[in-house]
Amino acid sequence: MFTLLRDLRRLRRQLDLPASTRGRSLAIRHVDAGSCNGCEHELTLTSGPHYDLQRYGLGLVASPRHADLLLVTGTVTTRMRDSLLTAYAAMPEPRRVAALGNCALGCDVIAQPGEIVGRVEDILPVDLRIPGCPPSPAQIAAALLELLDRDPELTSPGT
Amino acid sequence: MSRDADTQYREGVADALSRGCELASLYASAERGVQGVRAILREPDGALHVISTAVHGGRVPSLVDIAPAAEWPEREAHDLHGVQFDGHEPMRALIDHSGDLPAWTVPVDGPDAYQIAVGPIHAGVIESGHFRFHVVGDRILHLDVRLFYKHRGLERAAVGRSLRDGIVHAARACGACAVTNRVAYAHAAEQIAGLRPTPEVARARSLLLELERLWSHLNDIAAICSGAGLAAGNQRFAALCENARRLNAQISGHRLLFDSVHVGGSHLDLPEHECRAARETLTRLQADMTTAWRDLVFNASFQDRLVDIGVLTLPDAALLGAVGPAARSTGIAEDARTSQEGWLAYDGFQPAVGDRASGDVRARFEQREIELRQTFALLQRFLAAPIAPDACMPGGSAVARAVTRIESPRGATICALESDGTRLDRLHLHTGSYANWPILARIVAGNLLPDFPLINKSFELCYACADR
Repeated sequence: MFTLLRDLRRLRRQLDLPASTRGRSLAIRHVDAGSCNGCEHELTLTSGPHYDLQRYGLGLVASPRHADLLLVTGTVTTRMRDSLLTAYAAMPEPRRVAALGNCALGCDVIAQPGEIVGRVEDILPVDLRIPGCPPSPAQIAAALLELLDRDPELTSPGT
Repeated sequence: MSRDADTQYREGVADALSRGCELASLYASAERGVQGVRAILREPDGALHVISTAVHGGRVPSLVDIAPAAEWPEREAHDLHGVQFDGHEPMRALIDHSGDLPAWTVPVDGPDAYQIAVGPIHAGVIESGHFRFHVVGDRILHLDVRLFYKHRGLERAAVGRSLRDGIVHAARACGACAVTNRVAYAHAAEQIAGLRPTPEVARARSLLLELERLWSHLNDIAAICSGAGLAAGNQRFAALCENARRLNAQISGHRLLFDSVHVGGSHLDLPEHECRAARETLTRLQADMTTAWRDLVFNASFQDRLVDIGVLTLPDAALLGAVGPAARSTGIAEDARTSQEGWLAYDGFQPAVGDRASGDVRARFEQREIELRQTFALLQRFLAAPIAPDACMPGGSAVARAVTRIESPRGATICALESDGTRLDRLHLHTGSYANWPILARIVAGNLLPDFPLINKSFELCYACADR
């Protein structure tokens, strides 16, 4: 374990992520609305030792009721539409929606038209777009941190 | 007349099963407007053959009583293609989500029995799917799995596309099995076109398949640690998985190896210095993995957590058609990498089966490490010489249908293609995950509900390539 921790310092220095924390936090609820599982595998590694988004106050939470941000992957399928809307309805205000990956953004979608509803922004107001097929953990991390920095309402200390 | 044809179909399959064949897949097709059902059988030597029957009046005899592996494929053919299977009773909905609970669940009744609904949205970064546990207290009596929330109709959307371009539909089915699905498709398309990979193309594809297995097995070990609540093990293997994905990017230009396999040839270009760099990275990765693995092996409280739960017995694995690490960890020495003569570069490969092969979570956990050692050795071999782009060579006459079987990290994936030579009439994928999902659902009965996440992670099946 000690070897790994020593390596991490070196590996993290190579990343183009800020060194400092933000003094704020963002609770994220992920919903897979019809992805190929590629975005999930990359998103999972943002919690791994290399990126460790928790150190910036970014955490994946278990319920939309605890979440500031709904992070949606995949083109929205007809079978996932209602569950996605239910998750959004359960979120407290202020709430934001991020579309993660090209499918969620409606790019290069491959599907039978009747089986999908469309892009995430066709059914929810999207505040953050993270393109890529799939976006890398570094790209996901940078986009989420950028949201944290530019959206004062979402991340202001308790009022 | 139709009755005779039906009898021939069922008897043909029964004969094949009695001489040791296994039902590998089954799908509905409409070749030149005639609707048919095709059963794909795998001979003990790995050869695949297809027994077809035409659908008369919308009906076909069911195989589910002689081959339980036909259950999901028949339910799928019913829901998507309207085929009625005589003898498949009750025909529960699989992909059709329009019905209420009784349409797709097994009735479970009795004192203190109740249901726990989980999903389709899960608590972590997990794909979407619904589990309905029938439990008494903490004990699982029965699990009904409802997947296909992510059904995108990829196979139907592929109809009419060119033989060359249809590969994106197989690839898009699953990001975690992108190479496997692409190779399975490419081999089938090349058989239809009368092509055959050169040794160079075969080696490039084998390299990509093993790179996919490498990150995937590292991910599975991380996931099992997480399922057992061992954060240190999870983080350590997550770091190894990240390093494996960086190697993928270094070799193929993509962290998950997307778009690296094409019909008719290989674009992979690895000159000597890149092969050497990759071999060195792999040597370091293997050393790190070995150290990390040793810490897990000697962590007694963690090891205790894995024993005797989620047991898949060898007879059940054989009867139900289990594939991949889940099957090999029960003692079944079967691996699709042994039957790729000339098509992939696995000459001399022998399936790995652990000494324990006890079919529980620990056996599936240990199976990943055994297979990782093989994968590291194979990768060193494939990278021993530079790899250059190459085109397939002529290899026999063109055919209208082809079936291939490729070992994904989760087990053998079947790809069936039907084509007039230029356009696709039918693409069907029966992935390792698709084969193992109903088995996972079945074996959790009798286990404790809090053990389910761990049992589930010991299979670590994809939802996307089952849902398609």
